[in-house]
Amino acid sequence: MTKKILIIDDDPNIVSYLEDFFGDNGYETCSAMDGSEAMPIVKKEKPDLITLDLEMPEEWGPRFYRKLMKEEEFRKIPVIVITGLTGGKYAIQKAVAHITKPFDRDKLLKTVKDTIG
Amino acid sequence: MFKKILFATTASPSCDHAARVAFDVAKRYDSELIVFHVLGIPSRGFSRFVTDVRTGETVTFDDDYLGWVKEEMKNTYARQLEMHQNCTIEALPGVPHTEILRAARKKDVDLIIMGSTTREEDEGTYTYRSATGSTLQAVTKSARCPVLIIGRPVASAWGGFSNIVFGTDFSRAADSAFLFAYKVAKTFGCTLHLFHAYDISSVHSGKIMEQDEIEDNMMEAREKIRKMYVPRLKGFDDYEIEIWEGIPYVEIVKFARENYADLIVMAHHTRKPSSEKELLGSTVEQVVLRATCPVASVNRPDKIKDM
Repeated sequence: MTKKILIIDDDPNIVSYLEDFFGDNGYETCSAMDGSEAMPIVKKEKPDLITLDLEMPEEWGPRFYRKLMKEEEFRKIPVIVITGLTGGKYAIQKAVAHITKPFDRDKLLKTVKDTIG
Repeated sequence: MFKKILFATTASPSCDHAARVAFDVAKRYDSELIVFHVLGIPSRGFSRFVTDVRTGETVTFDDDYLGWVKEEMKNTYARQLEMHQNCTIEALPGVPHTEILRAARKKDVDLIIMGSTTREEDEGTYTYRSATGSTLQAVTKSARCPVLIIGRPVASAWGGFSNIVFGTDFSRAADSAFLFAYKVAKTFGCTLHLFHAYDISSVHSGKIMEQDEIEDNMMEAREKIRKMYVPRLKGFDDYEIEIWEGIPYVEIVKFARENYADLIVMAHHTRKPSSEKELLGSTVEQVVLRATCPVASVNRPDKIKDM
């Protein structure tokens, strides 16, 4: 069964790049532009993995992550933080990986494959 | 609630993280933001020389130089200024903490935001610093409003307040901090954690306590929170009480990290409320330096009452 990745990022260029990149590598994708709109998408799409930006217009990544951790059904979904913020990795220390923009796509793909196959 | 915020900055990279918080908080809560910079320190009261923040060189202070500094501040924060229009840029020469306090008083600001130190850090090392900067020390000591301190880069990664930890040792000084934490939580619809760390280190040095004794004291502390603070929440019910045992600053930092807190509120110091002589308390200082979120130090009730 095809694995699904939710991309949460306010930069449409990053979203579109990641959609193409994950699509080319056999993953399904869905996306949200902000933490505040991501939770309904998580509930509807039930993704196998989430890539999460930190700084977004309304609800920032760590606050979304905190909400996610409170949901029994979704708290085990692996999260990869993709951010340009220095030191931002310490905000979500339980993420499976922290990737700094601009990122190495091979490293990202390897992390995704290692995590969800 | 935060009608007017003063962001004290060197406009150098050491303040970038504090700037992220200052502009975000101002935009999010519709506040007027004053970006405030104090130029160097004159060698005499009548000196015309200041130290350039970026080059470290002594330069002659005149209107041209002041205009140039303001222009540089505008360039530094150009992206943020575009997003938040209700903002003024101010710069003047003087002793930084004196001018910051004077401006905060004159402009009647509700909150001061600043970084913990401007000292260049050796990134990558763990024990690279153990003290906050002297300007922060002086500002937190005398400010009439709460001072929001951004100690680590990660403290700027949250985007507003939604989950607040109020750390108390039940002192009188903690009362103003409680009031501030409660008002922020109530105004912005946050969860409020009423937290006490039961100190099992120094106060009991030489004595190893039994776990029963520790847990009895923790239960007593929980009861104390129920009696001291809960009635003053006036029906606000999004709160939790937590007591952890250990070294206070470690436990507060751990609790905030594990609960994804985006604000810690503590009294500036606890021994003598509103004393002009007290330095930033050792526990709050270590929390400032180590927390994963901003820390609000509260020393006086003046502004909080009106919020």
